[in-house]
Amino acid sequence: MSQFNRREFIKTLAAASSASALAFPSIARAAAKARVIVIGGGYGGATAAKYVKLLDPGIDVTLIEPNKTYTSCPLSNEVISGYRDIKTLQIGYDGLKKRGVNVLQDLVVGVDRAKKTVTLQGGKTLQYDAMVMSPGVEFHYNTLEGYSEAVINDIPHAWKAGEQTLILKKQLEAMPDGGKFVIVVPKGPFRCPPGPYERASQVASYLKHHGKAKSKIIILDANDSHSKKGLFQQAWKALYGFEKEGLGTSGMIEWVKASEGGNVNKLDAATKTVHSDFVDLKADVLNIIPPHKAGKIAVTADLAKADGWCKVVPMTMASAEDEAIYTIGDSCVAGEMALYGNPNANFDMPKSAHIAMTQAKVAAAAIVAKVNGLPTPTPYYANTCYSIVDEGYGFSVAHQYRVVDGTFKYIKEGSGISPMAMPDKSPVPPIYRKLEAEYADGWLRNVMADAFG
Amino acid sequence: MRNKLQMAFALAGLFFVAPVQAGDDIEGLARTCYGCHGTNGVSVGQSMPSIAGLSADYLKTVMMEWKSGARASANMTRLISGYSDAEIAGLASYFSKLPWTPQVQKTSKETLAKGKAASDRCESCHGVTGGEPDGDDIPRLNGQWAKYLELELMKYRDEAFQMSHKKMIKNARKLDEGEVNSVAEYFGAQSK
Repeated sequence: MSQFNRREFIKTLAAASSASALAFPSIARAAAKARVIVIGGGYGGATAAKYVKLLDPGIDVTLIEPNKTYTSCPLSNEVISGYRDIKTLQIGYDGLKKRGVNVLQDLVVGVDRAKKTVTLQGGKTLQYDAMVMSPGVEFHYNTLEGYSEAVINDIPHAWKAGEQTLILKKQLEAMPDGGKFVIVVPKGPFRCPPGPYERASQVASYLKHHGKAKSKIIILDANDSHSKKGLFQQAWKALYGFEKEGLGTSGMIEWVKASEGGNVNKLDAATKTVHSDFVDLKADVLNIIPPHKAGKIAVTADLAKADGWCKVVPMTMASAEDEAIYTIGDSCVAGEMALYGNPNANFDMPKSAHIAMTQAKVAAAAIVAKVNGLPTPTPYYANTCYSIVDEGYGFSVAHQYRVVDGTFKYIKEGSGISPMAMPDKSPVPPIYRKLEAEYADGWLRNVMADAFG
Repeated sequence: MRNKLQMAFALAGLFFVAPVQAGDDIEGLARTCYGCHGTNGVSVGQSMPSIAGLSADYLKTVMMEWKSGARASANMTRLISGYSDAEIAGLASYFSKLPWTPQVQKTSKETLAKGKAASDRCESCHGVTGGEPDGDDIPRLNGQWAKYLELELMKYRDEAFQMSHKKMIKNARKLDEGEVNSVAEYFGAQSK
């Protein structure tokens, strides 16, 4: 900031105050410069609220979230296997309150985009000048015959962390040696692309270290490939006797892709049996990850018009439907969807905590710039996502995106997965996997603090 | 007044966007580092280093070595290749101007004594407490996370991991296995 001298500072503030009156005429008389409402207190919403306040304390920021405590989905698979206490994943909103964010424990039930108001379940109506929509995902149970929300205490999804995570953990612990743990994966895009496969690894680690190595983990996948597939299969071979892809193979983990019967279309909840075109499978523990799309309130507000997801303006994360609303996190689709396995693909952004946070920072900077009549700042998007497959064995994927000519551009040079082999084709030394397993916890502590602290 | 100043700082970052050079909004770029390295580069995760307040020379050297392949990293070699040399210099300069914030960690008297004794070979470059580096390309160690320091020493000691600093490699490998943790905890416990 040393290059920014006092004279320019005053000039900026003067320009800012007149410009904000122009941008938001309705608030020229109000005490606060502008009112920003953030819907949803996950990683995305919390980060947006914090960074709007950090960048311009003169803006009034209200975060609306129904839960008192947030439970991190990232690394919650380690709770299922017993490596991590769920308390290490939980955090409240006191940090944001201390920064001057108004936190309302309530649920937004309506949005009037013409009047720029939101209605809360508690009855209040609030006015906004800008809104950050970060509601996460809504599960669509009815897309699978025989499945409904009524069965989730028996057939947990554990795809929103908390009570569900603990139910799945208990079921795993109660499963006898030789049991079948079945994971049903919905068609992408879904929240946490490597999550189902990390979960299979964590379950395998638990079974291996608790004298239940005769058990099976069967992944029935509605997709034909997945995130970090090569790394997962390499690790499964080294740790859990993975033989090859397909059902009926000899290792502890079996992965069945969509084209070979992985696409589950029917459930018999009473017997925990799932059916696909080629497969009928009875599980001892059944973990169905329901198909999901943008959170309900984004749909109610008529913002989720890209196949059920929210489409955004790359420079700012503003909704393609409404320039006063910024749709971030798992509920949005950022970029064109690309298939795995194509090295030249212009990958869309994964639905991860880290991406949601960089999207939130882009939205926050864009909102503050707009309120103050300043040019839109250059947006930068980045992601790091760790998967832990056993104690001391982790790997990651990194993504970077920039905006070129108004569209998202995947930066291949600054992205990619942990190495499968060294440049001379020799195996990757164990220290690499150990380091990344250690880094995962440091990453978790920092993203939680960067969002909620 | 403090709030106004904070906003001025924040806005300054936004004000200097030059459309011809994509890397000019360094503060926006730096914010993408906060996810792993903590808000404003001050880490609260034990395996992740704080980077705020390290010297620009050191930060730039490490990043450029990752980019060229001279120095290995489990993950940073991938990320850093997405940044231009000018952006790397900009990030190094940005984080070097933020204050160094030691995270003073508790450890036992025995570990402190053992760590101090074993760290005599660190002293000439990093200073007695790790807080007075003898040169712009040397990192501070006082109040850095002990877990991170231990992992760094592990990298220097493992022949399979390509590190670039000959003197560090030599000295790290001279430590006994049992001294590595003590040295890391000794520096982690220092406030200055």
